[in-house]
Amino acid sequence: MDERNFTYMFYGLLAAWLVLAGYVVSLASRERRLRREIDGLRHMIEDREKQS
Amino acid sequence: MRFLRQSLTIAAKDLRAEVRTKEAINASVSFALVILLLFSFAFDPSGDQIKEMSGGLLWLDFAFAGVLILNRSFARELTNDCLDALLASPVPGAALFLGKCLANLVLLLAVELISLPVFGVFYNVHWATQFWPLMLVVVLATWGLTVVGTMFSAMTVNLRLRELMLPTLIYPMIIPALMAAMQLTTVLLAGQPIGGADMLWLRLLVGFDIIFTALALTLVETVLIG
Amino acid sequence: MRQKVMILMCSLAAVLLARNLYVILLSLPDEASQGAIYRIIFFHLPSWFTSFTAYFLAGVASILYLVKKNSVYDAFAVSVTEIGTVFTAIGLVTGMIWARVIWGVWWTWDPRLTWAFICWLIYVGYLMLRRAIEDPSARALNAAVLNIFSFTTVIITYKAIDWWRTQHPGPVLSFRTGGGRIESGMESMILWNWLALMLLSAVLVMIRMRQEQARREVDALRREVHAL
Repeated sequence: MDERNFTYMFYGLLAAWLVLAGYVVSLASRERRLRREIDGLRHMIEDREKQS
Repeated sequence: MRFLRQSLTIAAKDLRAEVRTKEAINASVSFALVILLLFSFAFDPSGDQIKEMSGGLLWLDFAFAGVLILNRSFARELTNDCLDALLASPVPGAALFLGKCLANLVLLLAVELISLPVFGVFYNVHWATQFWPLMLVVVLATWGLTVVGTMFSAMTVNLRLRELMLPTLIYPMIIPALMAAMQLTTVLLAGQPIGGADMLWLRLLVGFDIIFTALALTLVETVLIG
Repeated sequence: MRQKVMILMCSLAAVLLARNLYVILLSLPDEASQGAIYRIIFFHLPSWFTSFTAYFLAGVASILYLVKKNSVYDAFAVSVTEIGTVFTAIGLVTGMIWARVIWGVWWTWDPRLTWAFICWLIYVGYLMLRRAIEDPSARALNAAVLNIFSFTTVIITYKAIDWWRTQHPGPVLSFRTGGGRIESGMESMILWNWLALMLLSAVLVMIRMRQEQARREVDALRREVHAL
């Protein structure tokens, strides 16, 4: 394979995958936050129902 | 016919309110003048490069000042629930929108016609040599700006972040019209007629107006009424 | 069931991408003048195709939402738009790195590049507008309208290499040029990689749509809490 500009090609591929990985990480963190929020709200509803 | 009359009634109402209070137009005109002043620091105002940049500068100025007017267009109806009253009236949403567009068009043109001579004086540009073609370009591009701007003004009217959202949405969307207007205005301010390769830009401008007017008129009902 | 489909698609995409990477790096012939950097096209082009497909689907889903008023279409529209912006970002970044080597600059204000950037800005604006509107049905309506407006820029970006004389390379794939601009092995590689990215995006869209559903659940629970 032609070796010229190989480092830049490597950077290019790396950058592409980093962008995608960044998005997946943000997706996962949002998933966790939503889970937590739902759990918290469910607990709150249960507590209130017990009180009343 | 009835539709048109209703639009004109709305436009007249808006213009009358604006003429009486002058709240948006005063702010917009003075903002336009401030920007024209600021440009003089960005480059050498007496140099020759101003000839090549004049169209771009003017339209940046108009776009910045115009958003102040567009911002108020629907927001002014929020106090005392005027917007709800307008929507409850027998005027269809599209007519309300068209009326607001016409009023905004007049106001924007007023700001532009005040700024143009000032620009000519400040930067030593003979802007009136191709007066009528220039007016054609100004009206076409302003209409494009107004249609998109009024539409987005209607979309963002109920938002807490209205003043922030409107410019971020409008500017990228009106780039085709601004681009064409900048090119054509530069040519016209240099005293040359539009022709040859510049016709492409004029077609782009007309196409932009037609497409976005049609889109806005069909979709505005959903935005306003839901 | 849905979980299984997702895992299957994800692993299929992974296998495909690994195989494609192997072929791209080791078995495809060199390009005459550009050196290794030309191989970026195998990610650059598929990314753009993926993002254009995503924007197209988002536009269709937005129209369907306005017609049917079913919130599934809204969830789909926002999910694909978000994936579209991610792939637009990838397309821009890979393009910039290629430009750095071939043109010597990271960016040039060429119509194709400019429009691609505008396109990205507009769709990011769409995502921002969604965050700014609190009422769910108003959010869905306004977002759908904005999405339809936004799609006009995608068309301009796609046609920019035909309308203006640009520095950006012209179309290479045979469905636009009638063949002859690119070796068939390279062309099929671009299409294979597109398939892999589409599979990957489909999985991401499914995850994102489930989140949108979860968000609606949160809204419903919030209302319940208020009622109590």
